[in-house]
Amino acid sequence: MILRVHNLCKSYYRGKLEIPALKNVSLDISEGEFVSIIGKSGSGKSTLLNLIGGLDTASSGNIFFRDQDISAMSRKELARHRRFSVGMIFQSFNLIPSRTALENISLALTFGGVPRRQRKARAEDVIRSVGLGHRIDHKPTELSGGEAQRIAIARALANNPAMVLADEPTGNLDSVTSSEIIDLLQELNQKKGISILMITHDQETASRISNKVIRLVDGSIANEQGKTSMP
Amino acid sequence: MNISDMILLAIANLFRTKLRTTLTLLGVVIGIGALSSMVSLGTGMQKNLTDAFLENDLFTSYRVTTKNIDLEQISGGNFENMEGFLDKPQTPLTDSIIKIISNIEGVQYAFADIQFPVQLSLEGYDIKLNAQGLPATSGQYKPYTNLLAGTFFQTDNEKSVVVKWETFRKMGLVPLDKDNLVVFSREDSLKGFKVVDPDSLLGKELVIKSKTLNPLSLAISTMGGKVPDEKTAFREVETRLHICGILKKSGSFAGQQFRGGIYIPMETADDIPKLGFSSIWDLFDEEEVDSYGSVYVRAKDIQDMEIIRKDIEALGLHTFSIADQLEEIKKTFLIIDSLFGAIGSVALIIAALGIINTMLMSILERTREIGIMKAIGGSEREIKFIFFVEAGFIGFIGAIFGLGLGWLVTRLANIILNARFPEEGIPVDLFYFPWWLLAGATAFSIFISLAAGLYPAIRAARIDPVKALRHD
Ligand SMILES: Nc1ncnc2c1ncn2[C@@H]1O[C@H](COP(=O)(O)OP(=O)(O)OP(=O)(O)O)[C@@H](O)[C@H]1O
Ligand SMILES: [Mg+2]
Repeated sequence: MILRVHNLCKSYYRGKLEIPALKNVSLDISEGEFVSIIGKSGSGKSTLLNLIGGLDTASSGNIFFRDQDISAMSRKELARHRRFSVGMIFQSFNLIPSRTALENISLALTFGGVPRRQRKARAEDVIRSVGLGHRIDHKPTELSGGEAQRIAIARALANNPAMVLADEPTGNLDSVTSSEIIDLLQELNQKKGISILMITHDQETASRISNKVIRLVDGSIANEQGKTSMP
Repeated sequence: MNISDMILLAIANLFRTKLRTTLTLLGVVIGIGALSSMVSLGTGMQKNLTDAFLENDLFTSYRVTTKNIDLEQISGGNFENMEGFLDKPQTPLTDSIIKIISNIEGVQYAFADIQFPVQLSLEGYDIKLNAQGLPATSGQYKPYTNLLAGTFFQTDNEKSVVVKWETFRKMGLVPLDKDNLVVFSREDSLKGFKVVDPDSLLGKELVIKSKTLNPLSLAISTMGGKVPDEKTAFREVETRLHICGILKKSGSFAGQQFRGGIYIPMETADDIPKLGFSSIWDLFDEEEVDSYGSVYVRAKDIQDMEIIRKDIEALGLHTFSIADQLEEIKKTFLIIDSLFGAIGSVALIIAALGIINTMLMSILERTREIGIMKAIGGSEREIKFIFFVEAGFIGFIGAIFGLGLGWLVTRLANIILNARFPEEGIPVDLFYFPWWLLAGATAFSIFISLAAGLYPAIRAARIDPVKALRHD
């Protein structure tokens, strides 16, 4: 079991008004699984992913990543979790615009403690592994959406995480590019055994490629569908 | 991420916003420039003064007098103690007392302060000044070691004289000094100054005219109820001495004026008829032992000063040394330096506000970037450190250029001030940049910049990545 979420609750507050974003969410993900989260806008998908990614802290409940309780971690330990355990991908790519593809990935390697002289070679390797060897010195604005997202995936993979968390990675892409990105994630999952947790609006694709699809409704899990249950 | 990575990242960030960094830097440069030039002025003043003291051996010498020169008491109008003091029998400064003082442990030598007005003439040049009698031994010590040409006199009774550079200058002769080239102003040239080879002056005969009272004529005219007229009351005597040495131009702040413009061997000086204070007393009271107005005592070492003073005071005499005044002088300069420093610091504090402003703006602009750094594993400590280094780097670079600016400003001010107020044509260095000023200003600049960077750095580190990364 790579991830175990138990009775997770997260509320936001606007003054005294409580806005519950997640209510008693529990789920398990095994090593090497590809899991999709679907749900309407505002159902709490991103909130859940950010909590698992250690970008935010829960109101109550626990998140166990390989038996380590993320919800009990200090801010410093959370930074380590983000650095080495998980890699995050976003709808809007979130590359640093002033840095080239290579430099964006080098930064992640820098945080990962890779010695300076090894960084360039490793960054080039990981960029080639997502098929963008010819875009190494391009800045994000000089890349297409699909290329930018590939670089973002390369960055997420830079420090060899066990799990990739993807928040609507195809949300800004056309359908052809989207399926290329999905194919890439699937390849990572199958060839490298990286566990993937992906938020998507595309229910059909989710069902097709995932071992498990989790539907969030108003911050609660509605039903969990195993791939086997699909026709 | 190790420290060198964070430093490189910080510098790269600064280079990315060149214009803004430059403007922020400029604030620090001006701040440090103002601070360093101000402190440099204060330090320069102090250095000039203490150098002059050192050059003139004032730290290791005492002037011994029979009466206590207590300026504070006199200016305060407090004469109560003075009266009692005047009743006390005074120890006269006689040759035997000088011998006793000379034998005090730690005393290098002691001699009577013989100083008298004379008229000099050298090949048609005439000038009035004070002549000073000195023992030949003083030639081994500052400031008399600093000869431009020739040697100090070797015995106390030879017929030679050591002349100060300034004395020739007053006569319109400028002995050429390669280490101390003189800039002539236009007036100087009009007055007809003549540059001469100092060696050519050696051996020349200096005619010294001194005046003394004519006791006989004085007595006669006083008895006759007449006011003695100048012609008969005074007798003018001529003494011929050979120039054996020329002293170099002394420091600008040197209090040399009171030590006369020419130096004559002690016994030779004693033999010259003169109108000194002691000789007047000699005149009216022949029985009185030969006593002097004051005695000059030189210690072997500055450490011996205190013991010597006690021993001299035990003889019922009084001592005066600039060294006693040193603590007061130092305190005064400390106040001046702090005041100058405070004025300069204001500029730096304004620069610090500039740093805070720039960094807060930059954080606002880089919120998403900071969010990304956190998402890919950047810790609060690392992000804080990066911003901290950015501020510190501005402080460091600002200090280097600021000190450069301060130096330039002081050079320029020095040139202007020297041109405005030429002090006998010799340029004076009014400013001083000691190593501690360079190091201190740099450290202070970095410290202030880091302090300015502290709050922005903490804010950057506390940025919530979830909010920072929310879709635009
Ligand atoms: N900082 C916040 N303060 C208050 N409410 C918040 C905050 N962040 C999220 N919410 C609320 O929490 C709920 C869940 O938000 P979340 O971003 O997880 O939704 P989502 O499922 O990712 O939606 P979308 O598909 O549009 O991205 C929403 O109702 C949102 O308004
Ligand atoms: Mg979302």
